[in-house]
Formats: sequence, C-alpha cells, structure tokens
Amino acid sequence: MKRTIFTTAAAMLCSTAVMAEVSVGNPMALTGPIPDLVAPMAQAVDLAAANVNAQGGMFAGGESYKIIRADSACDPVAAVDAVTKLINVNSVSAILGPVCSGATIAQAESVSFPAGVTTLSVSASSPAISTMEDGTDLMFRTAASDAYQGVALANLALAQGITEIAVSYANDDYNAAIAAVFSAAFAAAGGTVTANEAHEPSKASYRSEVATLGATSDNLALFAYYGSGGITLMRNALETGAFDTFLGADGMLSDEVIAQIGAENMGNVTFTTSASDSTTPAFAAWAALAEGAGIPASDPFVPNSYDAAFMLALAIEKTGDDNRASVSAALRSISSAPGEVILPGEWAKAKAILAAGGDINYEGAAGNQDFDENGDVAGLFSQSSVVDGAWSATLIK
Amino acid sequence: MWNSFGFEFINFYFIPGLVLGCIYALGAIGITLTFSILRFANFAHGETMMTGAYLTWTVMAICSGVLGFAVHPLVAAVPATLLVVLLFLVTDRYFYKPFRQADTIKVVMASFGMMLIIRSAVQVIWGPNQLTFVPGIAKPNAYLKDWSGSIDFLLLIPNKHLFIFVGTIAFMMALSYLLNKTRIGKAMRAVSDSPDLAHVTGINVDQVIRATWIVGGACAMAAGVFLAMDIQMLETTMGFRMLLPMFAAAILGGIGKPYGAVLGGLVIGLAEELSAYPWIGDGPLLSPGYKTGVAFAIMVVMLIVRPQGLFKGRSF
Amino acid sequence: MDFGILLYVLSLLTVGGIYAIFALGLNVQWGFAGLFNVGIVGFAAVGAYTYALLTTAGSTYHLGGFGFPLPFGMLVAMITAAIVAGLIGLICIRLRSDYLAIATIGIAEIIKLIFKNETEITNGPRGINKIPRFWEHFSEERFYSSWPLSWFGTPEAWDAFFNSLPNWWWQPFFASTVLLIMYVIYRMLERARIAPWGRMMTAIRENEPAARASGKNVTARRIEAFVIGAAIMGLAGALFAQHLRLIEPTNTFDPAKVTFLVWVMLILGGSGNNRGAMLGAFLIWTIWSASELIITGAIDLLIDIFDGVDMGSLRTRAGFLRMMLIGLLLQVILQKFPRGILPEVRPASPKGIK
Repeated sequence: MKRTIFTTAAAMLCSTAVMAEVSVGNPMALTGPIPDLVAPMAQAVDLAAANVNAQGGMFAGGESYKIIRADSACDPVAAVDAVTKLINVNSVSAILGPVCSGATIAQAESVSFPAGVTTLSVSASSPAISTMEDGTDLMFRTAASDAYQGVALANLALAQGITEIAVSYANDDYNAAIAAVFSAAFAAAGGTVTANEAHEPSKASYRSEVATLGATSDNLALFAYYGSGGITLMRNALETGAFDTFLGADGMLSDEVIAQIGAENMGNVTFTTSASDSTTPAFAAWAALAEGAGIPASDPFVPNSYDAAFMLALAIEKTGDDNRASVSAALRSISSAPGEVILPGEWAKAKAILAAGGDINYEGAAGNQDFDENGDVAGLFSQSSVVDGAWSATLIK
Repeated sequence: MWNSFGFEFINFYFIPGLVLGCIYALGAIGITLTFSILRFANFAHGETMMTGAYLTWTVMAICSGVLGFAVHPLVAAVPATLLVVLLFLVTDRYFYKPFRQADTIKVVMASFGMMLIIRSAVQVIWGPNQLTFVPGIAKPNAYLKDWSGSIDFLLLIPNKHLFIFVGTIAFMMALSYLLNKTRIGKAMRAVSDSPDLAHVTGINVDQVIRATWIVGGACAMAAGVFLAMDIQMLETTMGFRMLLPMFAAAILGGIGKPYGAVLGGLVIGLAEELSAYPWIGDGPLLSPGYKTGVAFAIMVVMLIVRPQGLFKGRSF
Repeated sequence: MDFGILLYVLSLLTVGGIYAIFALGLNVQWGFAGLFNVGIVGFAAVGAYTYALLTTAGSTYHLGGFGFPLPFGMLVAMITAAIVAGLIGLICIRLRSDYLAIATIGIAEIIKLIFKNETEITNGPRGINKIPRFWEHFSEERFYSSWPLSWFGTPEAWDAFFNSLPNWWWQPFFASTVLLIMYVIYRMLERARIAPWGRMMTAIRENEPAARASGKNVTARRIEAFVIGAAIMGLAGALFAQHLRLIEPTNTFDPAKVTFLVWVMLILGGSGNNRGAMLGAFLIWTIWSASELIITGAIDLLIDIFDGVDMGSLRTRAGFLRMMLIGLLLQVILQKFPRGILPEVRPASPKGIK
C-alpha cells in the first residue's frame, strides 16, 4: 500500500517533466471573482491545444502541446505563486496569461520578467500594461487595451446621437480603467458625462445607485462583469425604468445576460467587444471550430484565448527547439506580415510552411493580432445588440 | 403631499432599503441566537443561507425538469429547509460540539473553517457559475400600482418584494410565538440569559442548543431564499457578502435580542440604500463605492459607543 | 535535483518567511495578550501601501512615487501600521474576544475600501506596480546611478555587472533578507516573552482581575501588544508588497488568504510559542502552494486512468478543492492538536531557571 502511494506521488510529480511534450503554463482565474467568465476561456485554450495535437503536434517528432493550468484567482498573490511553480517546477516554455490585469502585471514583474519568460495575456486590458516594460520584450496580449475600446465606445455613443450619459462602473481593475478612458473620450468629443460613480461589485441591490444616476440622465454607460453585479445592476435599472439606453463594454457581453434578464427587456442595449470582422474567413473558421466544440464563440475574451493559445504554439514551433529566450521574437514573426496567412485551426498548414522555412502570418479569431512595439494589438471592435433573442454583432467602422 | 421628491425617495430608496433590511434581519436572528446561546460568532451563517438558496434551486429544478411542473420558490424552500437544518445539526455535532467547554476562539475558528468547507463544497458540486433563479425582470404589481396611483400615492412594488415583506412578518410572528409562548422558547431565552442558572433549574441545555440550530437554520434559509428571490440568481459568494452586515445588525440590536436583530437589520438595510441618496446637492451623499462600508462603520461605532446594542442585549 | 525546483524552494522560503513574520505579529497580539485580531489584512494593507507609495519611482497613476530608499520605506510602513493600530486600540481594546474580532474585521474592510476608492492617492482598484524589491532593485537604473552604489562604480559598470549575472541572482539574497528579518524579530520577541513584560502579558491574559489588582495597567499593556503586533504586520506587509511587486486593494488583501491563513498558521504551530508560529507558517504555506501541484497531478492521473470520462469540470473546480482541504485541515488540527504542534511553554522566572 505504502509503495503504491509513493509511486503514485512520484508519478504525479514527474508526469509533467519527462514526457516528450511542449508545455505552456496557463494561469487562469478559475476561482476568485469571475469564474463564470473564465470557464469558456479555458475551454477555448483547450480547444486550441486539441487542434494542434490533432494535426501533427509540435516539431518534427509530433510532440504533444500541453497546457498546464493553474489557478491565478484574479489575485496577485495566487498568480505569483502559480507562475513561480509553472516556470520553476513545470519548466514551461511560456506563460499564457492570467486573466485579470492586476494578476498579470504582478506575475510578470515578480516572476516571469526576471526569469526571462514571455507572457501572452488573453484578457488583461489595462492601459498600464502597455508601458510596464523596461527594455525587455516579454509582454504581449491578444486583447486590445481599454485605451482603444473606451474611445470606440465613446464614439459609438455619439454616433447614436447620445449627447449626455451617466456612467456606472464596478470598482475593479478592469472596469475602473475602461470607465476612465470612456468618460475622458466622451467628454473630449463633445458629450456630457452627467454622473460618474463607482459601485461595489456583487452587491445584492443597486437600486439606490441606479436611482441617483437615473435622475441625471436617461442613458447609462455600464461597466461591470455580468458575473459580479452587472446583471443585478441592469435588472434594477430596468425594474425602476430609470434608463432608456444602455451602453457597455465586453464584460457584460454574454448569453447569460439574455438568459437572465430576457431578450424582450433588452431593446436598447448595446455592448462593444473587440472582434474581428465577422465577414472575414478568420472569424468564420473560428466560429465553425467553436460551434463544433460547444464553446460560445463571441463571449468576452473567448476568441482572444483561442488566438493566444494557438499563437504560442506557432511561436514555439517557429523557434524549432522549444527555447524560452526566442519565443518573444518568434511570436512577433508568426503574427505579422509578410507571410502566408494562417487562420484559426490551420495548424497542419502552418507547420508545413514553418518546416520548409517559410513565413506565416496568423490572422486571429479576435482580430488580425499584429503586435505593436508594446506587445499590444489594435483590434477592431464590434457592437452587439439583441436581435431575435440573441446577440447580433456588427463591426464598428 | 406626494411630489416627485417623495415618490422617488419612497420607491427607489426606502422600499429597496426595507427589502434589504428584511433579508439582513432574518439572517441576523440566527446570528444573535447562536451568539447568545452557544456563545460564539458563527462565521458560517452566510454560507448556510447560500446553501439554502442552492438547495431550493435544486428542488425547483428537479420539480420542473423531472416531475414536469414548476413550483414557487417558497414552496420549494420547505423541503430544502429540512436539509439545511440537518446540515446545521450535523456540523454542530461534529465540528462545534467538541469545543463546547473550550475557549471561544476555538469554536470561532471552527466556524471559519466550516465557512470555507461549505462554500468550497457548493462550488465543487454546483460549480462557480451563476445560476438563474428566476429569469426576466420583475414589474411592479399592477393592482397596487393602479390603486395607489388612484389615491395619488404611487407605489411601485414588484410581487417578489411583497412576498419578502409578508414572509418576514409571518416569520417574525411565528418566532415571537415560539419564544414567548412555548416551553422550548422560554428555555432558549433562559439559557441565553444565564446558561448556568438555566442548567441548575433543570433545563436540558442540549435540547435548547438543537432548537437554536433549528430556529437559526430556518431563519437563515428564509433569508437565503428571499435574497435569491430578490436578486433572481445564485452565486456562491452571496452569503458571505451578507455576513458582515448581518453581524452589524445583530450587534446593533443587541446580542441575544431577536427583535433587536430585526430592527438592526432594517436600520442597516435602510442606511446602505439611503447613503446613496442625494441629500445634499445632486450627487450621492456618499460615493456608492463606499456603500459596503456603511454597515461596517455603523457596527464599529455601535461597538464603541454602546456595545450592548439598542435593545440592551448582552455585552461581553 | 532540478535547478528549477531549487528556485521554487527558495520562493517557498521567501513567502513562508513573510507569512512567518505575520504569524509572529499575530502571536504578540493573540498568543501573548489574548487579543482576537481578525483584521490582519488591514495592517498588511497599510504597511504595503505606505511602502509602495514611498519607494516607487514618480508616477502619474498614484500619489508620489517618492523614490525613497527601501529601508526607510519599510521603517515608515511599520510606523504607519503602529499609528493606525494605536488609534484602533484606543477605542476598541476594551472589547473582549468576539467583539474585538468583529470590530477589527469591520475596520480592516473599511481600510480596504479607502484604498480602493481614494483613487487620487492609491490608483484605486488598478493598484500600484513596479514596487522595488530588495536586492533586485539595485539593477534598476535609478538605484545603481545613485548612492550608495554610485560610490563604487559608474552606472555603465554596474549595468554591465548586473547584465552578467544570471537572472535569478537576487532570489537567494531576497530570501535571506526575509529570513534574517524574521530571525531578528523572533529573537526580540523571545527576549520580550521571557522578560517581565512577557510574564505580565501572560498574567493579564490568564487572569485579568488579578493582574489589575496587583497594580498593572492592563489597558495600556494591551494597547502596547496590539501596536507592536501591528507594526510587525506592517513590516510583513511591506515585504509582501516587495514580493508581489504589484498591490491592489481587492484581491491582494483578500481576508480569506491573508487573515485566515495566518490564523491557521498560528493555531497549527502553537499560539503563544514563537517558534511554533514560524513553523506553522512554513508548513501551511508549503501545503497551500504545493497542494496545487499535487491536486493537478492527481486529476491528470485520474483523467489518464478514466480515459474518455469528461473531467473538464473537475479540473476547473480543483481550486475549490484546495480551499476545502485547508478548511478540513484546520478542523483536524483544532480537534486533535488543540494547543498546536509546539505548545506554549510558560516562561519560568529568572530565579526558577537557576
């Protein structure tokens, strides 16, 4: 009995290190404040790995592309601990980003920058990430900075003829950042922000907040996660009838919102999200893959997660020898022109081109994913509103 | 006179405050009883509320999914209450009873541990995602709206809130009967006042403790279901977020005083909602970001100024 | 052994050491004086934010970034936490056990709310980043181009020197610094425990009326213990900020992961026993951190064994199993080892030792 336990324990500790495989560390906020947002993102990461492994795996030997998941809990403490283990114990080749901006910055500055490991974040959108590096080139993300989305949303509001708006944002790192960008951009473009208040996430009631804001304007810009108070706030607002029009960003864009609030109540609701042109072949390829796997294709950051996992595989394939130090340069090379265009899921094609020494250019599910000098993507944005009981997205030109 | 000022104040601040207050009040009753009879602050109380709401949801899901008919949450809550009370009794037997004679700290730590165990168990079983309790939005009760509109006193109260008000009042009356008229209720009050004296007079303390868990469990259950009815969804941290305001309510009312707990709950609920009212100027009096702090601040001030609470409860 | 595992052990020692300092601070309050403080996270946040604001380089996101030397930041972090504790102590210290617990938990939440909402000062929920970490900070330009390093070499020479070091060079130094600070605090507390002050504390905790009757100023001593404990926690908070390099109010200072974990550490190790507090901290942190590896490994194994069964949800829920494990562990400790692994040893009087 004792021996069984011992061998089992040994097998557990070794199983990650010895097999012929390429591993990538994937700290996700599985626990913490937004587990519901993260679950489909994790599925999308797994789907990318499954696609890679089904089409020949990594390198000439067909090694398996393994995602080692850890819990970053949206929490700097947990993220630093998780990434320390991933880098040192599991010897991963790169980090496929923690979800929240705070956790992403903390793990980067505390662990992965000093260790020289590349981070590709799937959803950290804080503007602070653009400027955090100091001479290194290790931080990338597939989600556009809030600095872009906030401006896009402000322009959308003005284009809809809204000249005055009340802003309510959940007091967390993501929503506070995008609300600040939105308010500044909206005011700068000639609109009036009638009130701008933080609210504490996940409260049982937001009726008084809604009433106070509703007294100032008929339009509400709502920045919240649907999973931590966003739905409650919106329901309270609809019940009191304080607002006619709702605008918001991708934290609120989920089928869950329609399921809970009801499509019939959501006539004047528009949420933006970073997206690729849904008329492009890249999005069609992703939508087909996601549908096959039963993953909500346009939920917040889900396509970004797929892109990130797929691009890291491409980058590591490009390095040819699974070397941490060259992942960063390879990531830039596979994601931008020149090169043969690769769409989501086209692993075999990309692998063949790379093996022949050719160039590729990945065009992602969530945008063309060309990194600028800060490792940011510009990203296009789409606006979604409810049509026939489901979200319908159109690109913002 | 019913001007637009009063209309907004009553419908958008005062009534929501009362709803929240009712939920706090029911939760605080359980806390205050445990505090005075078992002599410890039960940190797992919020988790019990949450578990109760999840069990109710499960009963509803089974009814509509397997048996093919939909039931009202308040009906589904009845079988769920039995499970919650059972959970309470089992935790007491295995996790609190061993510490009956030990330091308070031990049993408080044990309840802290229970809080983690219960919450993680719910997260593992039902998953961390939100569950829809009742979809859609609740429109104000049409009859009440017409009637109150006709007497120029427009009230916008959805049915779910009427259920919560009526349910809370019914619960209070039942509790009042239990504590004042029944033998076990009187025994509970005696143990709360002085356990040693009660023991000497031949009261079965173990029985009283069981009764406390049953009454506390039923109240926690009601609070959890009312909370779920109000926010129309379930999430695993919903109980914990209510815990500190409920402590505040129990302390405000005076430990060991169920009516005090109810008053405390209503005061805390109203204070939270009214803190965002534009008393001065157009902006909220206190930034809604500080809303959570209102209950804590009341609690701390109360502990310092008048630790025995409004109703002259026990102070240690 | 794999070199990476060595680095991981080093990080376990670092974080364990920081938690050990928290546990020592709590031991002064609970183990010595019997003060039931459940607001550890508040003092940690005060220390961490003070340190961060004082030592970071100038920033447009938050107040200052005053760029003070690191030891100064750590010292002021201790002082600020002590002042805050003094104010709380003056008004709350007369509350007994559970009441003090509820009061401190409420005050800690209010402190967090202030850090969260006073955006001008703290950058609100987005937090403060680029917090300098001891030793590693020397490789930043603003430190190697100023004193004391500029006395020994030109910035260019230092730059070249730091680039020539392996990227983990600072890890053993930082870990040693944390452990050294822990050791110094431990020695000081041991002295205090055996000294008359410590014996008086025990007397007050065990029999307050008797202590009062024999002329001890119970309230003043209690506040003293509360303030000293909080200062130690403030220092630990500053080290915590260095370790993380980014602090934000909501998730970094989660009561379940700071306050509660520290309490479990102290109760497991043995409250009243300084060595127990440190042992508990290292043990619990190792279990906490390594349990993730083991649980993930176990689930991988299960998935390998039951090939084809959908285990996806199990994997995403593994984090919660870990929380449950810690809760169960606490219950077992409380019931089986009520006095901890290293129970309190009463200090004998100096005459008795002879």
